[in-house]
Amino acid sequence: MAYVATRGGERAIEQSERLFREEIGSFDAQRVNDIRQSLPYLVDRVMGEASLYDEDLAALALAQTGGEIYEAVLLLRAWRTTQPRLTVAEPVEQGDLFTHRRISAAFKDIPGGQVLGPTLDYAHRILATDVLRGDRFTPSSVEPADQPAPAQQPSVSAWQAENDLVDLPEPDQTAGGDIPDLTREPLLFPSKRAHTLQSLARADTGGVLALGYAAMRGYGQAHPTVNELRLAEADITVSHPDGRKFSAGRVKVSQAEVVSKKSEKLNLGFAATFGWNEVKCISAATLDLNSGGAPKGSATEEEFFLYHTEGVESSGFCIHFKLPHYVTFQSSLDAMRDAKAKNAAKTESATSDPAPTKSEPAE
Amino acid sequence: MSQSAPPLRSAEEIEANASFDALLWALSRPGQIRHLPKPGEAALIDALIDRECRVYSADPLLIPQVMRSGAEIADMASADHVFLATVQDSEVLKSLQLGSDLYPDEGATVILRCKLGAGAHLRLSGPGVNGTCDLQVAGLPDGFWQTRAQVMRYPTGFELILLDGDRLAALPRSTIVEVL
Amino acid sequence: MSLSELTKPWEAMSYGFLDASAKRELRRKMIKAVAVPGCQMPYASREVPMARGWGTGGLQVSLTLVNPETTVKVIDQGADDSVNAASIRRFIARVAGAPVTMDTLQADLIQSRHRIPEEILSEDQILVLQVPNPEPLRPVQPNMSIARQMHADADYGRMWLQLYEQIVRSGRVMQGASYPSLVHGRHIMTPSPIPRWDVPKLHMAKHLTILSAGREKRIYAVPPYTRVEPLVFSDVPYRVEDHGGLTCHRSGTKGFFMNEIPQDGGTSTYEVSDSEWGVKAIRQRDGEGVIKGETWYKNGEMAQ
Repeated sequence: MAYVATRGGERAIEQSERLFREEIGSFDAQRVNDIRQSLPYLVDRVMGEASLYDEDLAALALAQTGGEIYEAVLLLRAWRTTQPRLTVAEPVEQGDLFTHRRISAAFKDIPGGQVLGPTLDYAHRILATDVLRGDRFTPSSVEPADQPAPAQQPSVSAWQAENDLVDLPEPDQTAGGDIPDLTREPLLFPSKRAHTLQSLARADTGGVLALGYAAMRGYGQAHPTVNELRLAEADITVSHPDGRKFSAGRVKVSQAEVVSKKSEKLNLGFAATFGWNEVKCISAATLDLNSGGAPKGSATEEEFFLYHTEGVESSGFCIHFKLPHYVTFQSSLDAMRDAKAKNAAKTESATSDPAPTKSEPAE
Repeated sequence: MSQSAPPLRSAEEIEANASFDALLWALSRPGQIRHLPKPGEAALIDALIDRECRVYSADPLLIPQVMRSGAEIADMASADHVFLATVQDSEVLKSLQLGSDLYPDEGATVILRCKLGAGAHLRLSGPGVNGTCDLQVAGLPDGFWQTRAQVMRYPTGFELILLDGDRLAALPRSTIVEVL
Repeated sequence: MSLSELTKPWEAMSYGFLDASAKRELRRKMIKAVAVPGCQMPYASREVPMARGWGTGGLQVSLTLVNPETTVKVIDQGADDSVNAASIRRFIARVAGAPVTMDTLQADLIQSRHRIPEEILSEDQILVLQVPNPEPLRPVQPNMSIARQMHADADYGRMWLQLYEQIVRSGRVMQGASYPSLVHGRHIMTPSPIPRWDVPKLHMAKHLTILSAGREKRIYAVPPYTRVEPLVFSDVPYRVEDHGGLTCHRSGTKGFFMNEIPQDGGTSTYEVSDSEWGVKAIRQRDGEGVIKGETWYKNGEMAQ
């Protein structure tokens, strides 16, 4: 029974999971609570990429995976799969957002004003090493402005449209359950607008940044100007079966509009996501801005960037290369050896190296 | 993470699983007859139809169940699932969605009532059939099979699910039907 | 209508993990996949509790088909005890209460990565193959939209050209596993990264094969008794791996697909890739009663 002795697969995988979890140790609701309160931007990023807005579940996912972000996102996506889709909320209008931060690089000042809101943009990035020596890090308290900024403001592009500087897209009348849902149907190309925006909303932050940055550096056709960047809270309004509308709560959202010059009008790129994530929104909006007419196979082509910024798919495929591939490898070896033997037999006189063949794509 | 008993099966899950089991077999082996867990279209509606579907039903009695599933009621030309009940006129086959060469999956799934094991002798060939096999079907209008062959151009086409009580046979678009 | 009618009682997990709507979508797409053999049908492909690229496509099909009477076998590289096969098998058993087996003959449903077992599958067995890349045209056309149009037009010239160029350069087709094959005379498919050894097992088989790519969101099928023809030129025949003469050093079985095990000193030994076939051979040698099924290959040759 020589074979049976090697059958350690079941035990091996169980013990390897235990090793991983041992390092994280036991935890309870307190740790989840601490993560939620102390790491809101990480929780936001995970919720956005998971396309599931629940701070407690996101914090739990981070606790359970030891902060392995791709694993945390997958955990939430898999949990999301099991949940019924009860209803579709009313559309969120830009002008109704409860705005915390809204800045524009396109104008010195904008209607409603530049609202800096919470940001590290102008912080000096100096590690508070005193904390490690026992000091407490206590941020200075915020001094309220004399005049609070208006909570609700229209988008900058609305002003530009009034001034005939930009053509806003036709309002899409699709409503409720008819709105294409990326989690219920596959992404096909040319992509439906809803699918594009949903894909970008749940894209991997790092992936969107990498391709967006490539476009910004010059591999795209359009150079973005940040028309507005906004961090806000959105009311989620749903309808009761009896017709009454009610708020199901507020979610943090971020959105970016970027523009570039296109003959006599501006071209507009847009992205929004759950949670506050500025890098992702600016990068995603830049990709959106560049996608019109992008050459096939370029980094700014919709098919290219939507497929390749899907974090759960790309990270999963990346780590799958750890799985054994010895059958495919054996099959390739067989073809190689045979070709080599053929070549050796054939070419005593004519010595020509075969040109390298294009390798098969990774499987 | 903890090992626990598997989730319970609901009655709906048990029935839908068995219905699809029968359908998948019948569709993979055209001409072979399988049994649904209960007679009629209801079991198939539960197994296949929900809010992602557009459904046409010639039988108004099926509509309440279809609507409960959340599916949209559609005309025949835009429906992805078509319940024809008893077919009177072969012309209906000309209104069905066939899909396209790009998306053959958009061809309709068509469920109709007939009598299996009596009537016209059909000789079937194509994928799922080892050589040829014979199937008797009664209760379909004249010219039905000719019209089917006329309107479809592979890989576009539609799938026919033939229902006789709780018995079903299925003919995918890839099946060639010869009327003997 | 009330909210309670729209909702359902809370449960930690649906039977078979996937909820009813996910299963319905898979059923609808499986119907179309069977109806147009070898044609890739797009599907939503829900996230499951396993990473993409780790068999999530095959898993979704298995979870839709499985019930507590379905005996399930899971293999990876031919082996039941490969770590990921063990993980998938454990998951299916846990969420569906399905009995599991390693014996090919006992299985109703076989989910596999990269291999088809050596014993002939019967008509009441279903083979689910995990597919990393469903698009056979990707080496000649990485863009999915263009590739789809090429399938629609049966525009396979570049595919043929690629094979021809390989023959000119190297004296043979260099494709290892995933050998592109024409299904029902119409669609070119990749049979998933099974070795060339396994592709003839799909041709006019008794069993149904469903191929599912979870990450790429495509599902396709080879129904029973369907033509699956590897792309070859009439004067350069299809060649499976040259394993027909190799002997497994552990079980002594001969004439099946082998794993090559490098040895000190630059030599190699071989062990049979279908691990359960190897186990049966060992048990038989040890005098135990085992039931071995008919095999597709006999004396190292595919039976006609």
